[in-house]
Amino acid sequence: MSSTRSGRRRRTARALWLFPVPALALHLFLFAYPVVQAVQYALTDWDGYSAAYDNVGLRNFAELATDDDTFANAAGNNLKLTLTVVLAQTALALLLALWLVRTTRASTLLRAVFFLPTVLSSVSVAFVWRFVYDPDGGLLNSALRAVGLDSLQSVYLGDPDTAVFWLALTQVWFHAGQMMVVFIAGLQAIPKELYEAAELDGAGRLTRFRYVTWPLVAPATGIVVAYTTVQSFKAFDLVLGLAGNPPGPALDILSTRVYTTFSNNQFGYAAAQSLVFMVLIALLTWVQRRAIGRATR
Amino acid sequence: MTSSLDRRSALRLFGAAGLGLGLAACAGPGGGSASTAGSASPSGLATSGAVRGTVSFAHWRAEDKAVLADLIKAFVKEHPGAGVEQDIAPSADYQSTALRRIRGSRTGDVFTAFRGAQFEQIVKAGVYAPLTGTGVVDRYQRNLIGPGAQDGTQYGLPYQLVFNMPLANTDALDKAGHTRAPGDWDGFLQLLDDLKAKGYTPLAWPGGDAANSGQLLNVMVMNNAPGDDAFSRIESGDAKVTDDWFLTTLEQYAALRPYVQERATGSSTDAVTRLFAEGRAGLLATGSFQMAGVRALGAKFPFDLVAPITTTAAAARYEGVFNTTFVLGVNSASKVQPAAYAFLEFLSDPENAGAYADGTGQHVTVEGVEYANADLKALAPWLTRRTLLAPRFQFLDLDIRTAVENATVAVVGGKKPEQAAEEAQRVIDQKRS
Repeated sequence: MSSTRSGRRRRTARALWLFPVPALALHLFLFAYPVVQAVQYALTDWDGYSAAYDNVGLRNFAELATDDDTFANAAGNNLKLTLTVVLAQTALALLLALWLVRTTRASTLLRAVFFLPTVLSSVSVAFVWRFVYDPDGGLLNSALRAVGLDSLQSVYLGDPDTAVFWLALTQVWFHAGQMMVVFIAGLQAIPKELYEAAELDGAGRLTRFRYVTWPLVAPATGIVVAYTTVQSFKAFDLVLGLAGNPPGPALDILSTRVYTTFSNNQFGYAAAQSLVFMVLIALLTWVQRRAIGRATR
Repeated sequence: MTSSLDRRSALRLFGAAGLGLGLAACAGPGGGSASTAGSASPSGLATSGAVRGTVSFAHWRAEDKAVLADLIKAFVKEHPGAGVEQDIAPSADYQSTALRRIRGSRTGDVFTAFRGAQFEQIVKAGVYAPLTGTGVVDRYQRNLIGPGAQDGTQYGLPYQLVFNMPLANTDALDKAGHTRAPGDWDGFLQLLDDLKAKGYTPLAWPGGDAANSGQLLNVMVMNNAPGDDAFSRIESGDAKVTDDWFLTTLEQYAALRPYVQERATGSSTDAVTRLFAEGRAGLLATGSFQMAGVRALGAKFPFDLVAPITTTAAAARYEGVFNTTFVLGVNSASKVQPAAYAFLEFLSDPENAGAYADGTGQHVTVEGVEYANADLKALAPWLTRRTLLAPRFQFLDLDIRTAVENATVAVVGGKKPEQAAEEAQRVIDQKRS
């Protein structure tokens, strides 16, 4: 009897090992394989279609680091974009979530309104915002003119110093509603008793936020920050929609830079750029998660 | 014990799978399809045989879809055993991805290419079946299909003929007192002044659109450049954008600042096209390819083309710029080559080419076409005038082209020409190395 039971247990244990196989196979095929291939391409000067190529060792990486202003410019733009979007989008999403966390008819409607841009395609968003930013007859400048603030009219995406921040504004408008939903879920998971206890202890609104809400919403903040970071690095279609292909230096970010290099049929060099791009995202996400962990401890 | 053995087996299995995939990945570029389709010696084109099967026609002109669909209907009527499916990608995507999409035999039995870098890459990859010696080549105007040839072999047939120079509202020019296009730079500035005095935006320029802001560069350099291959020489390192002639060009861009619409460096093509179509601008600095779009926005005024002559009248070698593009070709890997060739022949028939031209508002390079479209007729004299093949497309490297074009945008935006040129040259030097 007992040997039958242990035999069944063994069979079950063996079967359990089969469950991750499909996921692992997909991961190996869709992620590990392309990454290994990218590493291999990055060490060559392959043009993307010829049978012949040379192995160039680490030359592509050396060139990236020392002799490519376009890549450095794209990395700088991306860093500005990411920092702006992460700060603005996280703050706005949290504010909206705090405002709309209680479920009422009005808040449900407003949540839907703020979430709406998320369901649009990037191309549609780019089309709409191109009209918003157009300096001659665009929505923003027309509105400023209508209220007599002509002096505040701007060239927006045509100003190389500020273009990336206008891109950031579009990105925040596009995704803040989505992040608001994540925060609302996090806020609703905080036990009410903690607020009641804090209130009994005489804690005011800000103190309750500082000592109850902020630490307990940390997991949601971590998700929002990590997701927003990755999103900002991958704002590819939005940039091409707003600025054309290839975008000018003011709006060139790492994903569009890699795409332009691929379009130039420099596959080896583009693969090296992709790898650096991947490492940068991983590094920045890790740093942010640690920073959030510390801030909410 | 059994359980630990199972775990080990499972890990071995996963490890082996990972190693296998890793090794497969390390097989390297040039392996697999890359090596088979990468041959530089394309097979001969099958021009005869049964016209049967579905031809995939890959191109980027979504706006031509309906006109082409009508032509396809007529083609299928002539060849009941054949069909044609349009495979359309947006032009920006097509520029970047077409080669990879048409390299197999599944897409693009008949395909198009942009003149310049893309055409050359597709030839190098062996995707064009050579057309030299086939009857279809004789249907084209010899002097216009050079961009579809390389080393004496005709690989593709540039189908469209466009003029990459400012489109003019001749009503506005008349009101400004100009019935003839100015013949020198001073005259051009005078025209802009007169248009401004009459309340027009003299020159609508899409400075915020990377694809179209550079069209003006074609005409700005056509007479300034020391030779017709100046941009090729910049890309090869034999000339620099810091050379006097290019600095002069940038200074002339600076002189245009008061005449383009306000905050022009942020303007999209849609916005300036609207500005022009509504009759508020005298010139639209894109090209004849915008005519249909302007008409679609309701413009009623007559068109002409006016290029800035940036030199004195005596020193001017050219009156304008043209480009032949939409380079049609047959895929060397196509499994329905006779049908693909028949479709190419069909498009190259003067009557069908005329229908395409009238329907799309683009001139074509096919010999003997008679245009019915009033705008095409109005610009027909330009087909025989002194025009230069658009130099902008001599750039084969997108980064170099963007650097040069961005210098012009930066100058209109207020940057000093010398500084803009130096910054562009730095990028060019890096990309060349």
